[in-house]
Parts: sequence; structure tokens; C-alpha cells
Amino acid sequence: MNCSPKLKPTLWDALVVLTVLALAGLLAARPLFAAKTAGELTVSVSVDGETVERCALSSYEGGVYESRGYTLTVKETDGAVYVASSDCPNQDCVHSGAISRAGQSIVCLPARVAVTLEGAASDYDLIAG
Amino acid sequence: MKIKTRELTLCAVLAALALALSYMESFFPLALIVPLPGVKLGLANIVTLYALYALGFPSALAILLVRCTLGALFAGNASALLFSLLGGLSALLVMALLRGAKKLSIFGVSIAGAAAHNIGQVCAAMLTLGSGAPLYYLPFLLLVSLFTGALSGLITACLFRAMAHTPYGMKGENHHG
Repeated sequence: MNCSPKLKPTLWDALVVLTVLALAGLLAARPLFAAKTAGELTVSVSVDGETVERCALSSYEGGVYESRGYTLTVKETDGAVYVASSDCPNQDCVHSGAISRAGQSIVCLPARVAVTLEGAASDYDLIAG
Repeated sequence: MKIKTRELTLCAVLAALALALSYMESFFPLALIVPLPGVKLGLANIVTLYALYALGFPSALAILLVRCTLGALFAGNASALLFSLLGGLSALLVMALLRGAKKLSIFGVSIAGAAAHNIGQVCAAMLTLGSGAPLYYLPFLLLVSLFTGALSGLITACLFRAMAHTPYGMKGENHHG
């Protein structure tokens, strides 16, 4: 049942590293495929799993969201969205910085708030120019 | 019978060690260097990895369950239980499966475990948030897990070298009874 481990790295370990790298690469490339529709981005803010705000990035003026006793202030400048301040304990959402591309998100786990940038929804995009 | 008591005691000590390590981790906030939610060193995984090789899967599972339950209890945070359980169980299952691949060293198993831990935690985050947003962080978390996994693999390798003279160092080779 028990076996002694190999204590020195082997060439096969590189296979594990490559697999993890490939998985990371695939996941990182995912928004690139989704964002092929060149158009306006949509900001989507969800609190506790429910979308509370969803609008085009250009018309988004930021907002203050309260959830689970925490208050998050989200702001928008030059096409980028960021959490300007939050009173959550770990401040990860503030430290994650600004997002400006489709598929990016800012997550605040203690407050259960997720801010996501989505590629232009296809219904806005149907106007052939 | 004597061995059984000894193993039970070792399990208890390891569970306590895992709890202490996960508490200690908060003093080394890796999140300050890599600002991502959920980034941490994963030191408690050293205990899981060691227990898996030295004591076997059932003991490693028992230690993990005790660590997660008590950790959530002490932190007074029920949602932390889901995160540590999903992360810890994914890591344990992946490492237990890869342990069978004899060509892999403890480093490969540890890195795969760290990556699985992150995947489990991102799943927990998606469940609690009810949104796919946390998936965006996974590629970065996976990259970080290469380093944290290698680090805990290195520490566990040192641990096995240091314990080589005991029955729980290299059980496969030193199994004299």
C-alpha cells in the first residue's frame, strides 16, 4: 500500500509541469476566442450570484455595492474598471487592479461580488455596417 | 497493535501540524507579491503529501478531513470549509492517483497536487459566487502552483531524507516491522 517516493526530480516531472502550463495556456486563451467580436464591452456586476447591474462599459459610471456587511466602490476610468475601495479583510479585489478586456474579472470572495467584462453581446452587434 | 497506536498518534500529530501550518501561512502573505484571490503557499499540502506516502491514502484522507473541519471551526467560517475541502480533496485524489505512476518523483506529484488544489478552490469560488468569474484567475493560479508545488515537494523530500532512519521515513524500503 505504501511506497517510498523518488526524492530527486525526474524527466517525467517535466511532463506534469508541461501539462499544468498547457492547461493554464488554454484557460488564458479562452477569453481571446470569446472576444473576437470587436465591439463594446459589457460590465456585469453580480452580488451573491445575482446580476445586479449589467450595462455597456461606456455608459457605466461605477457604483457602490453592499453585500454581506462589506461595501465595495467600483469605478470606471478610460475604459477600465477597478475596485477603488473595499472594507473586506483581505483586499484582494482592490489589489487585483483594473480590468479592460473581455473575459477579465475582479472577484471579492468575502463580499461575494464579481465584476466581469464581457465581449459585446451578439444582439447589440447585429447592425451590419 | 502497537503499530496501530503509533500510526494513530502520528495521524493526530500530523493533523495538528497541518492546522498549525495553515495558520502560519497567514504570516507569509504570498498575495502581497502575487495579488490574486486564493494565492497561498499551500504548506498544509506538505502534510498530505507526507501522509500519503508514509501512511497511505486512508490516513491521509482522515488527516485532511480533520484539518479542514477544525480549520473552518477555529476560523468560525462555514464557507471556508467548502474551499478547503474541495481544494484539499482534489489535491489528495490527484496525488494518490499519480503516486501510482512510479516514474514521477515527489516533485511531480506535489506540483500536480498544488494545481489540483487550485482547480478545486476555483470550483468552490464559482459555486459560492454563482458565477464563472473566478475561472479568469485559474491560469495565473496554475502558474503560481508550479512554484508552490515545487516548494512543498522540496520540503517533503527533505522531510523523507531526514526521517529515513525511522519506520515512517521510507516505509517501502525500511519496512522491518
